[in-house]
Amino acid sequence: MVNVTRLALAVLAGLASTAALAQDKPTLTIYTYDGFASEWGPGVPLKAGFEETCGCTVNWVAADSSIGTLRRVQLEGETTQADIIVGLDTAVAGEARATGLFADHGLALDNLALPNEWTDAQFVPVDYSHFAFMHDTDMMPEPPRSFEELIALPEDIKIAIQDPRSATPGLGLVLWVKAAYGDRAAEIWEGLRPHILTVTREWSESYSLFLDEEVDMVLSYTTSPAYHIIEDGDETIKAALFEEGHFPQIEVAGILKSSDQQELASQFLAYLASPDGQKVIPTTNWMFPVVDLGDELDPVFATLPQPEKTLTLPEEEITANSRAWIDEMLAAVQ
Amino acid sequence: MLVLDRLTYAHPGQASPYAFSMEAAPGQITAISGPSGSGKSTLLDLVAGFLAPTSGSLTLDGRNLVPLPPEERPVSLLLQSESLFEHLSAERNVGLGLPPGAPDAAGRIAQALAEAGLKDIGRQRASTLSGGQKQRVALARTLLRDRKVLLLDEPFSALDDHTRTVIRALVRELTERHGWITILVSHYRDDVEALASRQYRIVGGKLEMA
Amino acid sequence: MSTASISAHLPPRPWRIRAAVLLACAIGLLIAAVLGAILAAAAGEPTAPMRADIWHLLRMTSIQAGLTTILSLIVGIALAWCLNRLRFPGRGLVVGLFSAAIVTPGIVVAFGLLSVWGRNGWFNRASEALFGAPIGNIAFGLGGILFAHVVLDAAFAARVLLARLDAIPDARLKIGQSLGLGPLRRFALIDWPAIAGTIPGLAAIIFLIAFTSFPIVLLLGGGPANQTLEVAIYAAVRQDFDLRGAVLLALVQIAACSLVILAASALPPVPTALGPSAGQRWRDRPAAQAIQWLLLAICLVAFVAPLLAVLADGLAAGFGVLGQPTFWRSAATSLTIGSGSALLSVTLAIALGMGRAATDIPLLRTTLGLPVFAYLAVPAVVLSFGFFLLVRNAGIAPGTAAPFVVVVANALLSLPFVAATLGPPLDAIARTRGKLIRSLGLSGSRQFRAIEYPLLGRDLGVALALAFCFSLGDLGVIALFGTQDFSTLPLMMYAALGSYRSNDAAAIAAILLVLVTVAFVGLPRLLERLAHARA
Repeated sequence: MVNVTRLALAVLAGLASTAALAQDKPTLTIYTYDGFASEWGPGVPLKAGFEETCGCTVNWVAADSSIGTLRRVQLEGETTQADIIVGLDTAVAGEARATGLFADHGLALDNLALPNEWTDAQFVPVDYSHFAFMHDTDMMPEPPRSFEELIALPEDIKIAIQDPRSATPGLGLVLWVKAAYGDRAAEIWEGLRPHILTVTREWSESYSLFLDEEVDMVLSYTTSPAYHIIEDGDETIKAALFEEGHFPQIEVAGILKSSDQQELASQFLAYLASPDGQKVIPTTNWMFPVVDLGDELDPVFATLPQPEKTLTLPEEEITANSRAWIDEMLAAVQ
Repeated sequence: MLVLDRLTYAHPGQASPYAFSMEAAPGQITAISGPSGSGKSTLLDLVAGFLAPTSGSLTLDGRNLVPLPPEERPVSLLLQSESLFEHLSAERNVGLGLPPGAPDAAGRIAQALAEAGLKDIGRQRASTLSGGQKQRVALARTLLRDRKVLLLDEPFSALDDHTRTVIRALVRELTERHGWITILVSHYRDDVEALASRQYRIVGGKLEMA
Repeated sequence: MSTASISAHLPPRPWRIRAAVLLACAIGLLIAAVLGAILAAAAGEPTAPMRADIWHLLRMTSIQAGLTTILSLIVGIALAWCLNRLRFPGRGLVVGLFSAAIVTPGIVVAFGLLSVWGRNGWFNRASEALFGAPIGNIAFGLGGILFAHVVLDAAFAARVLLARLDAIPDARLKIGQSLGLGPLRRFALIDWPAIAGTIPGLAAIIFLIAFTSFPIVLLLGGGPANQTLEVAIYAAVRQDFDLRGAVLLALVQIAACSLVILAASALPPVPTALGPSAGQRWRDRPAAQAIQWLLLAICLVAFVAPLLAVLADGLAAGFGVLGQPTFWRSAATSLTIGSGSALLSVTLAIALGMGRAATDIPLLRTTLGLPVFAYLAVPAVVLSFGFFLLVRNAGIAPGTAAPFVVVVANALLSLPFVAATLGPPLDAIARTRGKLIRSLGLSGSRQFRAIEYPLLGRDLGVALALAFCFSLGDLGVIALFGTQDFSTLPLMMYAALGSYRSNDAAAIAAILLVLVTVAFVGLPRLLERLAHARA
């Protein structure tokens, strides 16, 4: 029994210490969400690509969600080891900015290809996609073309969405409805209520329900079909385009003021937003790159239908009102 | 008359099976002795129906008992311990000897308790009774069940000398009064000598008249 | 038997009581430190108005948890009753599978349920093929939550109760059978007394699991209407960063849970039978047997089918994941964490249980019963934040501390289940063999080696299996600790789900389930053999 305990402790200590290797080179510590740093995510190739030139070690630290990275830095305050956070999005950028923890990136970023102009002094865009409802053309050949059409469908047409308090697409949908309908948002939510089978904590749970055909539509991204086409050769999963226009999710990265490696961090963000860094994004994070990759973009992405209209909300308005809008949504679907 | 004729049984992995032959008469106590592990409990389990013999016969007054499940055999049990349900009162334990909804249950229970030499403890929980009282309660239950055969498995071993003598006398008295065929398994020579009209001993898996 | 008379029969074991009190205090302090660290961190933050309607949440959560408890106990007792009576090839495997449900990550079970009962599940498709109409979607809403909880908790209850039923002494069964007790009287006179002592603790555990249930409520709840306090706490911490509000909600949850725990642990101990009996066969009447087979069949369909669905989905997905080095690293980490937490949890449970069994002072017994439930009463997200702050305040890098924190947290997580398995038999030994131990003048360590360890053998195996499997499944507590190299199978499964890789996720879920089942069938047998070798 004692031996087993000792062995277990030794293994545990071994697990714990692997992070503390390689002290000679500077280490760039980047907080991100789990999917980004996972085996299949963009973290692995980005680390390899940047380490080729930087003479440094990139250390991804994955929290369980993007908001988790911000909360961790808030808890750590000035003493945080993080140099950069990757993976916040424009819906929480205002709140993150208000913490005063982020430094200016100082990059020109003049070759971006985003739906809207980018002028952010602190945050650099990493990737983007529009929120959209997925449908399977076998089950639903004629998807609704607006929220109102969706609402008008028979009640046994079910959708799965995510909780705006825990999942970024959930929050994105709240902003989408608000941007499209303003004061009528509550009415739209009430209309959606009978169609909502469930509100899940994570995007992955809703999406699994959709793949298992437990729901007809799921809140996801216009780029989601690319995964199924490229990895499974399945062309039946499509994003339904709505006439109101779509709200985008733009994932961003920012440098922390407390970092003692501002220069290195800035170089990483420049790499991240360059075609070299961006070319790994589409087929690892299944989002659009923020620059024009030309031939290097997998052709499947070029075939994905894109919304004609991109909706926006001013950042100050999001920061000031998102709590109230979430409450409005929760009350309406309750 | 209870007759065992080459009643045979082997536990899984047991090389030579038990083969029991014996006779026990009503109104008498027949004792079975033998060292631990000689097969005394197996014999009782065969008679009570907890084990099914591989061959041989077991008859009571010519009636074949082998096909009967334990609850339908004309057999009552009195064990060293666990004979009573400790969370029930003495009365309710005795009442288990009657079929549910039997007429005049209360009166018959009181009468049985009295015959077993117990008064005023009917409402006491079994767990609070002394060892001797517990065996009396179990005997009272046997009275109500009114089965022909009474199997006693080391029933006195947990009792002090005085109580032991008294309970032994009670068993003999009840056996004679009700014409029970009582089979006593014990390795106390003392018990056997004091009670048995007929003695068997298990040697090499067989019963020998002692 | 009066309390005083029991007390005189208990062997005096002051060191056991002291050790247990010390551990109880340590766990209590840990929880206080966690909450304190969060409050200290919140000191600088502006106060935000509380968003959650506490009373509404408490009411909804209590209704859900109360219903879950009652249903789970009824189903659990019925299931244990069937399994105790029936003998069939593969019975051990079925018992193992039933127990596997509760320790499998909730989300895996939930998706398994959907594969069977969902809109596109086996039953709806079968019904559509046979009768041209689906039976409808019963897997969502309050009904869905209750159904999923009952599947998890009733199976666990059945496992615990079955161990008690299987331990009924042979002599008692012989007397009962020879008295010709019918199935009902047999249950009332023989079975019920054997399980009654276990029921309050079991009810408390089930209530607390349901009260704090998270993934299932979120997935199957259907929306914000069916929420638990724990979900609101999660929202307060994660979304609003309202730490003070989170601690307040956590205190409400702790208070509510403590009431339940106090009620359960204040009840006097009921002596429980020990060890498996020699396997007395006493079949009930044919009518009762028919009911038992029917109940068992229903439970198999309801409980085991979802797990089989998980296996089937894994097989269909293929096991390409086995070729990934991350998988093997995660598996090794999971096994190490699982073993470490299992040993710690069982040690804690034995220490607390022995201390509790050694005393008859009601207040002391209650106090020693409380810390067992620490993890169930304190929301995981609060523990996660608190542990993170504690580790940082101690000047340790979170990445370094992560494995140890997971081991401690998972040991606490499984402690209520382990204690529920080991506590009653430890009490029973003290009460039924106390006199003998005392009269022989056995020392505490001899008491353990010669009496408790051999008698507890199988229960120890069950406890180790429980703790081991629980620890495979939970990682909530290091949500913030993340390091690149630290991954476990459940974590990898979630990562795969989050990267569209549902096939990999399905394969990992199936592998987890197999691991859990093997542990559940194998460990109790192994430990029983070891313990008997000692005896």
